[in-house]
Amino acid sequence: MREIANAGVIPMTGPVEPEISPTLRAAAIVVVVGVVSGIIALTSGGYWLSNFTQAYCMTLAVLGCALLYGQLGLVSLCQWALVGVGAWVSLRVYHYIHPPFFVTILSGGIGATVIGVIWGLPALRMRGLYLALVTLMLAGAFQVLVAVISFPVGGPGFLGQVGASGNDRINMARPIFASSDTSYFLFVALITLLCIFLVEIHRRSKPGRAWALIRKNEQMAAAAGIRIVFYKAWAFALSGFIAGVGGALLAGLFGQLDQTAFPTTTSIVIFIGMLLGGFEVWLGAFLGGILTRFVPALLIDLNVNTNAGFMIFGAALLFALRDPLGLGGQLTLLAERLYLKFQGKRAS
Amino acid sequence: MNLLPFVASGIGLGAIYALSSVGLVILYRASGTLNFAFGAFGGVSAFLAWQLKHEGVPLAISWAAGIAVATGIAYCYGRVFAPRLAHRDRVVRAIATLGLALVLFGGMAWYWGVGVARRLELPTDLSAVTLFGVRLTGTRLVALGVALVMAGGVGLLLSYTRIGLGMRALASDRHISAAIGVRVTQIDTIAWTLNGLFAGIAGILLGNINRLDPGALTFLVIPAIAAAIFARLSSLPGAFIGGMVAGQIEALLIAFPDLANFRSAGPYVAALLFLMIVGAGHGVGARE
Repeated sequence: MREIANAGVIPMTGPVEPEISPTLRAAAIVVVVGVVSGIIALTSGGYWLSNFTQAYCMTLAVLGCALLYGQLGLVSLCQWALVGVGAWVSLRVYHYIHPPFFVTILSGGIGATVIGVIWGLPALRMRGLYLALVTLMLAGAFQVLVAVISFPVGGPGFLGQVGASGNDRINMARPIFASSDTSYFLFVALITLLCIFLVEIHRRSKPGRAWALIRKNEQMAAAAGIRIVFYKAWAFALSGFIAGVGGALLAGLFGQLDQTAFPTTTSIVIFIGMLLGGFEVWLGAFLGGILTRFVPALLIDLNVNTNAGFMIFGAALLFALRDPLGLGGQLTLLAERLYLKFQGKRAS
Repeated sequence: MNLLPFVASGIGLGAIYALSSVGLVILYRASGTLNFAFGAFGGVSAFLAWQLKHEGVPLAISWAAGIAVATGIAYCYGRVFAPRLAHRDRVVRAIATLGLALVLFGGMAWYWGVGVARRLELPTDLSAVTLFGVRLTGTRLVALGVALVMAGGVGLLLSYTRIGLGMRALASDRHISAAIGVRVTQIDTIAWTLNGLFAGIAGILLGNINRLDPGALTFLVIPAIAAAIFARLSSLPGAFIGGMVAGQIEALLIAFPDLANFRSAGPYVAALLFLMIVGAGHGVGARE
């Protein structure tokens, strides 16, 4: 009987209760992110450290993307544009009032939340293909917009631009406790960890249950008294917030940003990274995000034309669509099996 | 302000958008796949034509080769990959074509480079007419003519041939069509081939009127989709008109200095407003 109940969730191999406690899952997140980040911080510097910091910012974009796709089945092809919005707002706020770094990050997150919800408004009326089209057009529109207005660099006025010479551009300062590249990377890793927990908490509490029911059947969800518009908007807000935080962290990494940094193609690559990593589990977003930056960085390091990266991701997408678990999902399943097997042996 | 000169200058781009939008809608109606790789097909066609011309190949052969290769890629994808995804929902099928678009975009950008100022020159550039005080090259009028003829031809194909009947049947209901004996894979493949043909021609024209750049050509698909959205992805005349309108929006925005720089986002914003105000309606696949 138990085997039927568990069919399709965790394949059982031993006579044990399929118990992986929430505490253990939380501990696993901390250990995996901590160990990976620790190894990166200890072994890499300069070029690679900068790229891994960017990769973590991309992880945040992937995390939001996976939230929308994994929980609600909504395809968002504008996640990198939302990172751009977060970066823009945080730079704008920074150059106005020079607040503490946490306030800058929050401002980026809140800015992208607002835009994310506004962008999500069409999604409340449509789903499926049309949402993918809308978000792709939004990413395209953002690319055009940002190419014209660029990012604030401490100049006067709302757009904050300086003269053509560009000599008086002002960099956004990093927090005092994270001014070096390594400490800033660890700081970004910590924020990434917090964002992963933010999403996990949502997934395992009331919003997560509401999303699951909405995805299953909207009419059923409405009949069960779930406020569909509210919870969908919440998902967009959350994914926007996380992306915006990623944008603020990216702005902190470089100090100033270029208008060419947020092309539509990256939003597409983020979506592909999410599919490759897997959208059901947090590990998928983490690995997918790292992969989206690691591949181009490796190509540059190997002196291969970076455009080959697009070919790799494009080809990978055609195969990733056939495996809904993704890399992260496969690894998680493997870890769970091993753990349960181990527990089973200990119990007998 | 006299806007007529801007209207005239938008004809060429509008015709390319119309051609692209019609090409997208034919495939979407018949097979339910929205092809994000449409612009990339066009890019391959334009770059190949340009390359062959520089190798000294006669012009007509270079264009024909470009269009043939774009059509061939579309045929292969429609024959090899598309059937494997036929049972998945429309989003997944569309997303898969994004993968193809990236592969082609990456390949073009790798081989031909990004940001190089290049244009595909056509002999029709030499002739010109003056409309509302604007000198229009022959290419723009050719673009309009080609778009009209091809859209009209497809309309006739749908109305009067067996293949067209099959396509219309698939647009109504794939499962029932298959059950009564419509050869789904064959019709799908024909739709893909037509899509590639439209893309190949649109790419060569855009490579002339705009510029020869992998990004610009690949992302031709976004305004084309915007144009197709005006037709709710289902009506061919609507797609044609939508394309012309999208071209006009871009051209008219040039008339307003504050907005001129944002002009390429014009069709997207218009399509977004259309979706928010009018809605996706009950076109093909709207219920899925």
